[in-house]
Amino acid sequence: MQSIINSIIKYRNLIIYFFLLLFSFNNLYNNSGIHYTKLGNISTGIAGYSANQINNIKSYFNLITENKLLKEENLILKRKKLSYSPNKMESKNSAPNIISANVIKNTINKRRNFILIDKGSKDGIITDSGVINSSGIIGIINNVSPDYSSIISILNTDLKINVMIKRLSTIGSLYWDGYSPSKMILSDIPSSNQIKLGDTIVTGGMSFYFPKGIPIGTISNYETNLTEGYFDIEVSIFNNFSSLNNVYVIDNLDNEQINKLINN
Amino acid sequence: MNQENLKLLSSVLIITIFQIGIFNNMNLFNLINPSFYLLIFILYRTTFDRTLFILLGFFVGLLIDLTAQTYGCHTIAAITICFSRELLEKYSFGVNANLPKPMISGTILTNRLFFFFSIVFIHQLIYFSLVFFSFSFISTIIFYTLLNSIVTFIVIWVTTKIFFEKKR
Repeated sequence: MQSIINSIIKYRNLIIYFFLLLFSFNNLYNNSGIHYTKLGNISTGIAGYSANQINNIKSYFNLITENKLLKEENLILKRKKLSYSPNKMESKNSAPNIISANVIKNTINKRRNFILIDKGSKDGIITDSGVINSSGIIGIINNVSPDYSSIISILNTDLKINVMIKRLSTIGSLYWDGYSPSKMILSDIPSSNQIKLGDTIVTGGMSFYFPKGIPIGTISNYETNLTEGYFDIEVSIFNNFSSLNNVYVIDNLDNEQINKLINN
Repeated sequence: MNQENLKLLSSVLIITIFQIGIFNNMNLFNLINPSFYLLIFILYRTTFDRTLFILLGFFVGLLIDLTAQTYGCHTIAAITICFSRELLEKYSFGVNANLPKPMISGTILTNRLFFFFSIVFIHQLIYFSLVFFSFSFISTIIFYTLLNSIVTFIVIWVTTKIFFEKKR
């Protein structure tokens, strides 16, 4: 206490000076129109800048929550979008159930690539469900543990996906040849079709795994195989498999019924 | 109240009245109004209390502001001069800074000139910066500051020569 009093006494001139300076500026601010406007502008600028900086720092700490909220909102939107798709018209059941998940392991350098996600049977994931993200399809669930699931990536030479050229509604099969992770091969398109470079490829809706109309990629190159009467088409996929993070598992509720029918 | 205090008070009153009555209304070439009251801050004896000096600067500045309708510009310039005078003294007079009347007698002329002019110039710079209060008027601020500093300096220098050096 004594030291505080001592320092006040020691710096009394400085304290008095700043006090009087403040009083004078207040006087200037309140009585002079020009100074009122300019000091007001300066104070608004400082207040705005500091509020902005504080807000930036605060928002940085809220990023995890914000991200979570966005994912949930995305999930709702995805659900809505899929429930309005033409597939819904064909389905007797409600819209497919969608589960959001994070990729924890992913390979692209093998011929049979698999992806691991952090959701499992506890979260309602079942095998043979399709997996998509905001840029297109990812693969199909092949194994489920209580907390994790593995996905056969579309970058797997064993997988063939039913797809469609959006403009022509021509159905074909998409598979990976095992070379470039950004290119896939589209086969079974008869050479009688008028295809063009840049045509969009979407899911065909005949594989039960994926709803119809999910974008996959565009035609980047094609050749006519005259002996077989089919095109050899190269497709540039939209998804960048080297940076996968958030994915959605589509649990198609009609799968069970359809499988039963086929087996019978 | 001792004689020294009375002398100080009466000289402050007389100088302030001169400032308010004459120099504030001078308006030479529509540009120049010498700040004659700076004489108070130059003549104030360093042996006196500094706190009292700052308060004196505040009241003199406030009085002039009220009469000149400058809303605080004189006050801010005056208290800043009062607060920084010790520093200016040391810078101007060096080791002789704490002499009883360093600014009037017994000091080297160039030191005195520097001390007078630095007080006048800094005061005028603060005052005109506050009056114009904009970076876009920087050239005008410098022009007014220089012109008014020179005239104020001459007025104060002549006054000290006539009225204060004779008393020695």
